[in-house]
Amino acid sequence: MREALYQPFFQDLAVGMRLPTVELGPMDRFDYIPIALILRDTNPLHLDRVYAQERGLPDVVQQGPLNQAYLYRYFTSWLHDPWDLIATKMRFAANVFPDDVLQCGGEILELVEAPAGSGVVNCAVWQRNQAGETILTGEASARIPSRPMSTSVTHTSPAP
Amino acid sequence: MDVDRTTLIGRALRPATYTVTEVDVNDFLGVVDEPAFVATGDEQAAGAATVSAPTGSRLAPPSFAPFVAVLGLLKTFDWGDDFLFDYRTGTAMFGEQSIEFHRPLRVGESVAISAAISDVYEKQGKRRFDVIEVSFQISGSEEGDRLMSGQQSYILFK
Repeated sequence: MREALYQPFFQDLAVGMRLPTVELGPMDRFDYIPIALILRDTNPLHLDRVYAQERGLPDVVQQGPLNQAYLYRYFTSWLHDPWDLIATKMRFAANVFPDDVLQCGGEILELVEAPAGSGVVNCAVWQRNQAGETILTGEASARIPSRPMSTSVTHTSPAP
Repeated sequence: MDVDRTTLIGRALRPATYTVTEVDVNDFLGVVDEPAFVATGDEQAAGAATVSAPTGSRLAPPSFAPFVAVLGLLKTFDWGDDFLFDYRTGTAMFGEQSIEFHRPLRVGESVAISAAISDVYEKQGKRRFDVIEVSFQISGSEEGDRLMSGQQSYILFK
């Protein structure tokens, strides 16, 4: 199945097209400190490896909203304007740990055309770790503009 | 004995506000690099334009939206009083989050969050747990216009 180009026009898209897959990482445990401060969440599960291991986890757990942020960035960077985003629905399926490498991907599920040739795309989106385990899964929808009307094409002879 | 949380269905949670501060957004962009949303002070160094609203105010990236929802919602409830849950001894995690976006999020704006418990049900996985579904609305606290609305579920293990 074909892959949809970045910042596509509505006319370029078809149901079943894959979004370009992106890999990111490795995840950095030092990123969890500013994220904990932003979220006002000092849960030691995200910051204290000994505490996490005492609870049977291999390491500290990356904050869920950070996993989501990477998937949002992935999807919205595919759009002409990131705020063309209409809606998201995401389910947390597994934890992310330091040094994990994440892969984000998606597929077009539905296209709804608007009168002016633009439209709305609804995509399945997912995030997996290096073992192929699903971290996040869900859907995202966005407005996609119509391809601009082409201006008249002037043919010129090559310079002698 | 198990706590019956179905009695919580319909409970309105307390109203809350959150200000989308420049510090929070800049710290966020320090981790989640968003080329179209450069941190304040980095515009020239990055040689990129920060996405702006038509009014000229700076926009936060959509990737910051889950943070606003999570942060805002955490201010609307008390784990013990509203969810009958002791966070110190129990285990809780996020379940599913859905958000509908009504307009972009501006840096510096204060937002108002209203929320209510829309459903509670028990599920069985490897362990038994309750799912608490919270419906929320986030509005501009000055204009009162809708910014985001959606649902967030919390999983409380038994």
